[in-house]
Amino acid sequence: MPEKNIDFGRFGARGIKGSDAVARKLDELAGGIATPVTAKRGWMARLHYLTKSTPTLKAAQDAGLTVTHRTLKAWLEGKRRPSKTSLERIEQAYRTVRRHNVARHLLRRLNRDGRGTRVEIHPLNQSQVPQQLQRVVEYRTMNVRRWDRIVGSWAAGDHQSLDAAWQDTIVDLGSQWGQYEYVTNVGFAA
Amino acid sequence: MSDFDAIDSLLDAVGPQAELPPCHVRRELRERARLSKAQVARALGVSPSTLSGWESGRDPAGEIRTKYAYLLDGLNAKLATESGSETEAAPAAEQPVTSGTAATVTPLSSPDLGQDEEGDDVELLVAPEPCVLCGRPAGQRVAGFAQHLTPADCQPTATGAPAAPLAGQPTAHTSKAPLRTTRPARATERSKGPARHAFQETSGPVDLIREAVQGALAEHRGDVDAATAALVKRAIPDAMRLLDETRKGARYDMIAHPWIPDILKKQTARGADQIWEARPKWTRHELPPGRHQVTALDINGAYLSALKTHLPLGQLEHSTGLAHDRRRSGVHLITPPEWEHEAVLPNPIGQRDEPGPLWVTEPTLRLLLRLSGPKHQLCDPPQIHESYTSGATENLLEKFRIALKDARDTAIEQGDTVTLEYVKAMYSKFVSTMGESNYNRELYRPDWMHLIRSQAFANLWLKALKAHDEGLAVVRAMGTDELHVIGDWRRVFAEGRAVTEVKVKDTYTAGTDAAEHADEGE
Repeated sequence: MPEKNIDFGRFGARGIKGSDAVARKLDELAGGIATPVTAKRGWMARLHYLTKSTPTLKAAQDAGLTVTHRTLKAWLEGKRRPSKTSLERIEQAYRTVRRHNVARHLLRRLNRDGRGTRVEIHPLNQSQVPQQLQRVVEYRTMNVRRWDRIVGSWAAGDHQSLDAAWQDTIVDLGSQWGQYEYVTNVGFAA
Repeated sequence: MSDFDAIDSLLDAVGPQAELPPCHVRRELRERARLSKAQVARALGVSPSTLSGWESGRDPAGEIRTKYAYLLDGLNAKLATESGSETEAAPAAEQPVTSGTAATVTPLSSPDLGQDEEGDDVELLVAPEPCVLCGRPAGQRVAGFAQHLTPADCQPTATGAPAAPLAGQPTAHTSKAPLRTTRPARATERSKGPARHAFQETSGPVDLIREAVQGALAEHRGDVDAATAALVKRAIPDAMRLLDETRKGARYDMIAHPWIPDILKKQTARGADQIWEARPKWTRHELPPGRHQVTALDINGAYLSALKTHLPLGQLEHSTGLAHDRRRSGVHLITPPEWEHEAVLPNPIGQRDEPGPLWVTEPTLRLLLRLSGPKHQLCDPPQIHESYTSGATENLLEKFRIALKDARDTAIEQGDTVTLEYVKAMYSKFVSTMGESNYNRELYRPDWMHLIRSQAFANLWLKALKAHDEGLAVVRAMGTDELHVIGDWRRVFAEGRAVTEVKVKDTYTAGTDAAEHADEGE
């Protein structure tokens, strides 16, 4: 099955796109404010992060936090609280800016001066697939040396190019790489 | 400089080839040393059939020839000294070989460590160290080896020594391990080493620990406190490196980042997950009548011993309503049985306040199953509702544990507090950071962390049971390593500092006329 999956899950296999798993793991490694944005403590912390400096505020505005300074000031002083849509925008802007800020550092740790990072790929879940259609899909590990494209497209929030970058990476698994397009988990440390 | 080094090494390679004894002598030497072809071949890095070829007419060439000549020379010398005066046993033709290569042994001893032998790498030693060739004090060091520069100085006992470094430290010649171990340490190892297995591998992991300690001590110029602090600081990465080392050639992959079920994830940043580790926290309600001498015992290295437990290898898989499978391990949702022996023994699932089903780990479940079995019959079997399990092995961390235990035992024997603290930091931090910790991102196995902790608690519980069965009154079982008993405990537990022994933390008296003080007498 060297090609991409056409109709994944038709026979009951479960899993997520490998690139989504990578993005999730990178998000986890990037860390950040743990309190949810719906709590006052959460959105306040995010706003403080986004308004720390002029370049950050500029980045936040580019990332979709298109509110006037007046509104921002009112939020920060606690005179008003953001509406539901504004909260979503804050969250979105925070995530984008945070990713962008962390990317450089994360990239250096993942590339490790060209030694790369060991990645574990946990295969998709076949427990719901009829017995006769189940296939042996092994747990695999590989060393990824160049993370520039992966981290770059993750930081830019570009799902499509992240997917392409990840696919170009897992091609190194050999002719079976199509089995690893969907996975349960991708694990690595930075 | 490096250009000239390369030229030098080329020039050396052009020189006369090492002399080899005749084929039948090669074979005879090996057989007299009771070495198998496979052993010798492994040490030389060739296949056993190649070695057969060399022993039946063919000749090796190049660097491998030099190595083989060195080996045969060493064997010859060793057998000559072992057989004492019976030099007639070794053919007379070989004696010239010994003295002939003794002069060339100086470069031979480090064929792959440094090609630049005598050129610029000669250090003058302030304090003479034993020569690697003859064992007598030498004033120079060449490419890291203390040795005599002229064969004339080396001559007198040259027959005895060359085999010794080969037998003691085979890895030094095969794997380019830096030979920074101190001489006394090596000398004891050499004398202790088993004589029969000339090429038995030294335990690499223990060397790793020793090298780290010696490196830290050298860096801090023997300042014990500073060296300890530095070692404790790097204990986590070092433990991971040691783990990698011990998993070399192992059967199973260490899966470090599996998918983790929600029950094993922390609910909030500071909160805990849903697993109940069954930590004992129990004090006897009523003491037996009269005044008693209570001894607080401390179990040595509880977490170190607990590294031997059934650890799930791969990703945990969900199952419901199945009976317990001994070949799998993980976490289980059970309804614990009633415990009717609270007066004399702690509840094996610990001090649980809420009733109802709870997630326990494999060691706790196995303990409950064992206690409900025909031998003990202390409670009903637990009811298993749900499980997240995976195929398990008890040997996953076994080499790691043995390496740490050996280092600990040696350190205790020699009164080496630095190594002792270092080992302690390694295993305790390894266990506490193997879950969701930012201090160790190499390993993300909260399941293992819970299992190892529960194993430590189960081990303590079993010690309490043992004390109870032997007629001691158990007064308190607390945490991982605290057991208070009344009675002559020395006939039940051995006293000492090894992991199988216990040490006394404290003794105090408690009794009926002051029954209310029983609890505060710690």
